[in-house]
Amino acid sequence: MKGYTGKILKIDLTEEKSHERTFDEGYARKYLGGQGFAVELVYHGVPKGADALGPKNVLAMAGGTFDGFPVGTGGKVAFAAKSPATGTLAESIMGGSIGPELKHAGYDALEIFGKAEKPSYLWIDDGTVEVKDASDLWGKDTREVPEILKKRHGWDVKVACIGVAGEKLSRLASIDCDDRQAGRAGLGAVMGSKNLKAIVIRGTKDLVPADPKKLLEIALRYQKIYEAAPSFVEDTKYGTGEFLGWVNKDRGVFPTRNWQEGVFNEREKIDPYYWATRYVTKNKACFACTKPCGKLFEVKSGKFAGVAIDGIEYETLYSLGGACGNSDVESVARANELCDLLGLDTISAGVTVGFAMELFQRGIITEKETGVNLAWSNASDAVPRMIEMMGNRSGFGDLLADGVKVAAQRIGKGSERYAIHTKGMEPPAYDVRGMKGHGLAYMTSTRGACHLRAGFYAPELVGKFWKWEGIDRFSAVGKGFMVSQTENFMCVYDSVGLCKFSRGFYLIAKLPEVVEAIAGLKFTEDELLKIGERIHNMKGSFNAREGVLRKDWLLPARVLEEPIPEGVSKGSKISIEEMNLMLDDYMKARGWTSDGVPTPEKLKELGIE
Amino acid sequence: MVKMLVPYPENCTGCRFCEMACTVYHDGKVNHADARLQVHRRNVKVDFPSVCTHCVSCGEDCCVLHCPVEAIKKEDGIVRVNQDECTACGTCVEVCPFGVMRMEEKAFNCDLCGGDPTCVKFCPMKAIVYEEPKPEQYEKVKKLLKEV
Repeated sequence: MKGYTGKILKIDLTEEKSHERTFDEGYARKYLGGQGFAVELVYHGVPKGADALGPKNVLAMAGGTFDGFPVGTGGKVAFAAKSPATGTLAESIMGGSIGPELKHAGYDALEIFGKAEKPSYLWIDDGTVEVKDASDLWGKDTREVPEILKKRHGWDVKVACIGVAGEKLSRLASIDCDDRQAGRAGLGAVMGSKNLKAIVIRGTKDLVPADPKKLLEIALRYQKIYEAAPSFVEDTKYGTGEFLGWVNKDRGVFPTRNWQEGVFNEREKIDPYYWATRYVTKNKACFACTKPCGKLFEVKSGKFAGVAIDGIEYETLYSLGGACGNSDVESVARANELCDLLGLDTISAGVTVGFAMELFQRGIITEKETGVNLAWSNASDAVPRMIEMMGNRSGFGDLLADGVKVAAQRIGKGSERYAIHTKGMEPPAYDVRGMKGHGLAYMTSTRGACHLRAGFYAPELVGKFWKWEGIDRFSAVGKGFMVSQTENFMCVYDSVGLCKFSRGFYLIAKLPEVVEAIAGLKFTEDELLKIGERIHNMKGSFNAREGVLRKDWLLPARVLEEPIPEGVSKGSKISIEEMNLMLDDYMKARGWTSDGVPTPEKLKELGIE
Repeated sequence: MVKMLVPYPENCTGCRFCEMACTVYHDGKVNHADARLQVHRRNVKVDFPSVCTHCVSCGEDCCVLHCPVEAIKKEDGIVRVNQDECTACGTCVEVCPFGVMRMEEKAFNCDLCGGDPTCVKFCPMKAIVYEEPKPEQYEKVKKLLKEV
């Protein structure tokens, strides 16, 4: 079997023991790699009802099928575990170089379980595995940790680590590698709960593709396609925030001030068309990315002088910007940097600050409790300060450090009404009141409100994608089937390790030749989508087993009751009838019960045990 | 006009695609340590490629001068290791100021892919360009390498 290493490394942190499990072509054909492997390991490795922050939870990490090979944008790594934020099987994907490095070290995936007795880190040097003392790293930030570890083990090692937020078990905690983050669903807290500060890998082994000549030929063909595409110029100039102005002005679905509005009236100040020429000093890329959207954003003077981040991404411009009414791009950059250093997910952390700011607006909380003036007009100062307090769990930040759902329970006083989330996870930057299928995708996403499980924002905002044209974002009709299909699509993407920003170039039909050139395995488009369906069903089945059912998927009250107040989507909301129609359609398309449980027949059809 | 690989550190994004393409082209496999050029991804601010300059910019650290058995020669402007004469002593690897002389059983280095360098084709950011040698660019890389 080419392309794969054929090995998974299982590590028991409690016993400080590890062993290798080999797998054959059948396993690769069934789960593909990346997310598929990571989900399989969690699905079969975590017992029912296990505490997400207990030793029985499994943290899986897997490189995609394309990881380590020259496929443009194909270097993504998947983490997965039972999420402390949602209680569901959640994966988080990042572009850091640790996935390819793992494969060079001889493993397609890691399965980490148990709990180390004291702060520790994993040191995987090709075939050898050690659990090492991390007492000196505890409390250090996500840039200090790799700096120290690279001095110790060599500049060529790759480091994935958590910040203080992960140590303190914040449900918003991320995992960091190369200034890229697996941010969502609190997987950093799973590492923290295992006393695992970092994973350090050096891999020097060969990765051998099945057909090197063909692989280079494909890579060059796509390189030319990328470079000829208009999005290549836009992405490399402005990054993912390129369409921020358009989402506001032409679509009116940029959630603002904790989702009270759908258009940010000060958007021009955080639009990359404004800041790219002023603050961006260099382009940055994930491993193997030949159409880079990463930007080195540097603040050279003023109150926030010294800030240097890989960003600011579209989602973060929303969460630490618009969602908090923060139009000071330097403040957004500083808050982004603090999130990265402390190890907080920028989306969830920002939405949580925005939630607190709305409570402040409504007088539910006051400066007496918060210690910080959380008025919208003070956002530039308040947002970075609150982020710092949340990451360190100091003062009022401790109360917010587990996200809006938990914070609302702690605060009470009707604050639940303003907690915007599904399944306990804060939503990304699309006001689904004006894009109803995407609203369904927030509900059906197995890890809580997410734009990338189905990626349905693109079809609805543009009006066409893949097999469909004339998609009406204000209609709920037909969305159940489409979302189920795009979810399968995305599961395939996260399994091969491709960046989702390539999905317009490589539709699934284009992937079989790449898989064949790397792994020598032949697939049809339908077979790949079947793998995607299998992966999604495993997550659905796990979640149902944990008692997370349709009644727990529903959209927040604001989305169902308060129409978007202004802009081109003015007056739009998702009614309860529309929500139910979409969910019913979705369950039918999935072959699940109306409660959201995959049926035994469906699981059998997909070969899920 | 003689053309060489010229590195532009300010354009490099640190994606390391060139290293992968290099080893797949030459060896039919990926191994970053065997790539005939190296990408350094040091921190959020610094990424750069280090390439073989075929001793147009080496000064006295040249592998050609230091090889104790004279197995390394410059022919038609390209530095080549005579595999029959190489004793794998490692001297050239040590002295190469760009850290791009590689060693497995014998020493080997960049061959410019016969005049159509693979790394250049895959760099969309023009961080490696095949053009007339630019000493000032080589100096930039040397300076960055010294900062490790």
